[in-house]
Amino acid sequence: MHTVESDLDLSKTPDVWERVDEVIAKYKDKPGALIPVLEEVQAITGYLPESVQRRVACGLGLALSQVYGVVTFYSYFSMQPRGRHQIRVCMGTACHVRGAKRNLQQIQKILDVEVGGCSCDRTFGLEVVRCLGACGLAPVMVVDEDTHRQVKDAKVGEILEGYRSESSTS
Amino acid sequence: MKFKKLVREDLDTIKARIAAQRELGTNGVHTRVTVHLGTCGLASGADRVLEAFGRKYAQGHQSGVEIAVSGCIGLCSQEPLVTVECFQMEPCLYARVDQNVVEKICDVHVNTRRVVKEHALMQGLALWEESSAKKQKDLQVPHVSEFAFFSMQQSWVLGNRGLIAPESIEQYIWRDGYRAAAKALQQMSPRQIIEEVKNSGLRGRGGGGFPTGLKWEFCASSPGEIKYVLCNADEGDPGAFMDRSVMEGDPHAVLEGMIIAARAIGVPSGYIYCRAEYPLAVKTLDLAIQNARAYGLLGKDILGSGFDFDLEIYQGAGAFVCGEETALMTSIEGLRGTPRPRPPFPAVSGLWKKPTILNNVETYANIPRIILHGAKKYARWGTESSKGTKVFALTGKVDNIGLVEVPMGTTLGKIIFDIGGGIPGGKKFKAAQLGGPSGGCLPVEHLNTPTDYEAIIKAGAIMGSGGLIVMDEDTCMVDMARFFMDFCKDESCGKCTPCRVGTRRMLAILERICEGQGREGDIELLEDLAASIKDTALCGLGQTAPNPVLSTIRYFRDEYEAHIRDKRCPAAVCSKLFKSPCQHACPVGMDIPAYTALVQAGRFDDAYRVLVRTNPFPSVCARVCSHPCQGKCRRGQLDEPLAIRNLKRVVTDFGQKPAYRFQPVVHTENVAVIGSGPSGLTVALEMRKRGYPVTVFESLPEPGGMLRWGIPEYRLPRDVLQAEIRAILNTGIKLRTNVRVGADITFQEICRSYDAVYIAVGAQKSMRLQVEGDQSEGVVGAVELLKAIAMDEKVGIGRRVVVVGGGNSAVDAARSAIRLGAEVVTIVYRRERKDMPALPEEIEAAVEEGIGIVELAAPTRIRHKDGRVSAVELDRMELCEFDRSGRKTPKPIDGQKIILPADMVIAAVSQEAELDFITQSEVGMVGKRIRVDAAQATSQAFIWAGGDVVTGPAMVIDAVSAGQKAARSMDVFLRERKGEPAWIAPREEDISIPRLEGDETVAGLQARMPALQARVRREGFQEVEKGYSRKTARKEAGRCLRCDVEVV
Repeated sequence: MHTVESDLDLSKTPDVWERVDEVIAKYKDKPGALIPVLEEVQAITGYLPESVQRRVACGLGLALSQVYGVVTFYSYFSMQPRGRHQIRVCMGTACHVRGAKRNLQQIQKILDVEVGGCSCDRTFGLEVVRCLGACGLAPVMVVDEDTHRQVKDAKVGEILEGYRSESSTS
Repeated sequence: MKFKKLVREDLDTIKARIAAQRELGTNGVHTRVTVHLGTCGLASGADRVLEAFGRKYAQGHQSGVEIAVSGCIGLCSQEPLVTVECFQMEPCLYARVDQNVVEKICDVHVNTRRVVKEHALMQGLALWEESSAKKQKDLQVPHVSEFAFFSMQQSWVLGNRGLIAPESIEQYIWRDGYRAAAKALQQMSPRQIIEEVKNSGLRGRGGGGFPTGLKWEFCASSPGEIKYVLCNADEGDPGAFMDRSVMEGDPHAVLEGMIIAARAIGVPSGYIYCRAEYPLAVKTLDLAIQNARAYGLLGKDILGSGFDFDLEIYQGAGAFVCGEETALMTSIEGLRGTPRPRPPFPAVSGLWKKPTILNNVETYANIPRIILHGAKKYARWGTESSKGTKVFALTGKVDNIGLVEVPMGTTLGKIIFDIGGGIPGGKKFKAAQLGGPSGGCLPVEHLNTPTDYEAIIKAGAIMGSGGLIVMDEDTCMVDMARFFMDFCKDESCGKCTPCRVGTRRMLAILERICEGQGREGDIELLEDLAASIKDTALCGLGQTAPNPVLSTIRYFRDEYEAHIRDKRCPAAVCSKLFKSPCQHACPVGMDIPAYTALVQAGRFDDAYRVLVRTNPFPSVCARVCSHPCQGKCRRGQLDEPLAIRNLKRVVTDFGQKPAYRFQPVVHTENVAVIGSGPSGLTVALEMRKRGYPVTVFESLPEPGGMLRWGIPEYRLPRDVLQAEIRAILNTGIKLRTNVRVGADITFQEICRSYDAVYIAVGAQKSMRLQVEGDQSEGVVGAVELLKAIAMDEKVGIGRRVVVVGGGNSAVDAARSAIRLGAEVVTIVYRRERKDMPALPEEIEAAVEEGIGIVELAAPTRIRHKDGRVSAVELDRMELCEFDRSGRKTPKPIDGQKIILPADMVIAAVSQEAELDFITQSEVGMVGKRIRVDAAQATSQAFIWAGGDVVTGPAMVIDAVSAGQKAARSMDVFLRERKGEPAWIAPREEDISIPRLEGDETVAGLQARMPALQARVRREGFQEVEKGYSRKTARKEAGRCLRCDVEVV
């Protein structure tokens, strides 16, 4: 695993905090609003480091422990920053039966990255997900918003290369 | 935009308007192109297809072509799918549409009204109903009525599939949408609604199967002002995607179902709890809710009935346990989604401690049609306890992956094989997984199980939400259990100890087994732990977490044992247990990656040395082996497996055959081998290598057994076989031919004179056909015929020959008969050609040579004239339910007979051993087979047996493997008697194996085996396969993915 900057720098990103506060304000008086708030906040900040969790806890008048409890409970929330391109390998049963494990090993070999981590250059983040419900296309891997269908381990390198060249030109 | 709030009559107006708009041939529109956009369609590029059509017909109605969209049509593996409807033409479904196909559809179908045959899947709509309208059809493209995937389904929940645009509320109304809500709100009392749902027999489709009407009744009668209606759209079971498809394709059906439920219980508000992993479903539902509000179908005073109801979507955040009802409610309350103990049940105290009902998406989607068409119509489908239809998400190793809606009670076999199209790549079915991590795996013998809640539980799984994952022979059941346990361990919420700790403990044991560290007692330990977790876990997730383990132990205990005892993974999945899948699949463990690499490097001599390390019959196996290795080759998942057998052939063609290293006789114990087939000669060679004197008894004039007398020369030339046998005998084995044990020497005499005996007499006697007339002149056994030919006897062959049977002997006999001048040779087989046990390439070759195959027919009588065969009477067979081998059982069709004129009938139904020289008391026997243990030892301490006499007709390589095992065991037995230490094999000479040359493997399919032309073949017994050239071989070897090499 590689150490990456693990918290947001407040001074560099003032408008981010404004947007976070707007979300909190929108839900403030709604019962059971914590999860939708965290979902929307994560969409803004990318991930949920401690500083963000504190902000949400204060804003909603909840204990930080409750926020932390919810963030760590649900797999949708992340306390780690993600790569520029997020790879999600589906490990649902249908994908498993059709060779998802080999694809995952191949990705790890190529990128030298652990599940849940980021590649050295932060180009790629890798995570494993539980059934995306696209079983008809198994095995499936999703990079950012693109679903790659019927992925074979021998083709993984080619797929990743496509994103690497994309991010080096942009 | 503000709409007028609808009243009941407006539904009719909208329906009529949309119907008129959709009528082709009016409004200047002659063609409608519908692109089916679900998540699977989009992932396959359906959005680009839509754009392409959009560009083509940018003018919209001026072009006369309307572009429409709809949700998923359910045939996911063929996405992107497009339906093209032209005025007065049958609609046509196109599969795997890309830019190219779009062009063709526009140029040919739209412009010239001709179907683009090569891309058309079928004609007609997926929701096919018999209609009287005569429409233009293309006779070469199947009609939906002949297209099993759709025609065998029964649409109800999926009743709008492929027809309506999900975002259009008016198209939903066109399909009778919201009429049920109108009926429920205006004409029915809450009591009546509940009664109707109860009468329909609908049970919760989320998995539990609790009667829906009853649940509503409980909640309705719970005291309280505030109640909630919830929809569980947290479809988390791996392999299940029915609910996603309904939400994406027909969202209003869910809303309407919830409105009716709310009315029945008297509830003003509800939630849909949808997982965040389904962004398209959330978006579609969200839009549907907004539209429904705008049309006055949600909110205050719905349809002017005075009833208020509104709902919102709550997005889950990725926790499987939130599919459990109490956990889901805790989650909506904004907390960690942990379950609560029941009772109190949610119908009494649910969300925010108020009475709550929770049903899943599919359950709600059933409701509108039940209310509209009546409970009776729904309850006519199904079984006694399970009514209506069920949607299954059919995935895994099956041809037609997709959504399948069938009447409950349809058998698993029908869903998998008839609708699903069976297993791809000719592989064997192993199990069907139902019910996700809470369910179980059902093996072949349960293919006849009806999909009925109770029947499935009895078989050892649960109905679950409808995920049906098909597994073939390449799936390891221990690995599968490990996978599910890993899932449950990850998804355990941690609240109760049995689930949190228990799943971890079970996982650790399963991981250990998969890594080859399994211990005796592990299976029992798993069973113990499973029982404790089931008894003590708090919620459904924990209580059912051990199910996949228990069901795999129940049905696949032998696989667990293979992992634990032999450190073998029969499916070649658990990679810690082997170097490469091909080597692991080979019964003698040939080092296939090594000799493949040597072939690629052009080092044929070294490759030959690798071959003989494990196989004394390499040039035989290079020709006749049924190559289980190729079935497991990973290259096969990319395109085609490596032609391993053909590469072996090249090594034996061009390499220098190494001599066997053996030592002089150092032991005084004598070894006798009865039978000189591949198994007997293997034992002889192995015992010679270990320094024992060996004598082989053979009843026929030459050694070789079935290789010599059973396999025709065009497959295995005599000189090739003789060279191989000579090399073995040259190690100093004494061979006594023309000695028949039981006649020329008694078995007892052998037992007296030898210290260890190996019986490998094979199975050389054809079984009788067991029909009237099977003793007539002209009826012969296949092996007897092949033997006579191999003996160079003069064989009188008939003009019209009928061969009965489907194995390799049947094909060998047929191909030999045609070479000997028979005019018409017909193979008769009682099942379908694809079920024939003979090697597919042999069947193919037989057909090329002009041999006919009559499938689905079985002889009932051999007609004869003056004692000579004149014809064969056959019953036409049909395939019925599945048998234990996973094949359908053939049954005669009443009154349908075939008469095949014949003057020769060859019986090739099976073979048995001739074992009259021994008795049951001397060695244990089952029927005409000798019973042995894992080391090939019989019940008599100094007697071993192997080959066909133990297994019945089987592969050469199995016989060799048995011989090697027997020799090891025999050697240990003889040494232990003397107190000698175990034999240590001499060190193998080092052969350096090249690593990957570069990192690119050669692209392209398997190199074809050059062969004689069929015309030339029929003229004699010349070898058919010519073998690869060196160049072809090196290229083919380059296709190897080198699974044995760890990429660093």
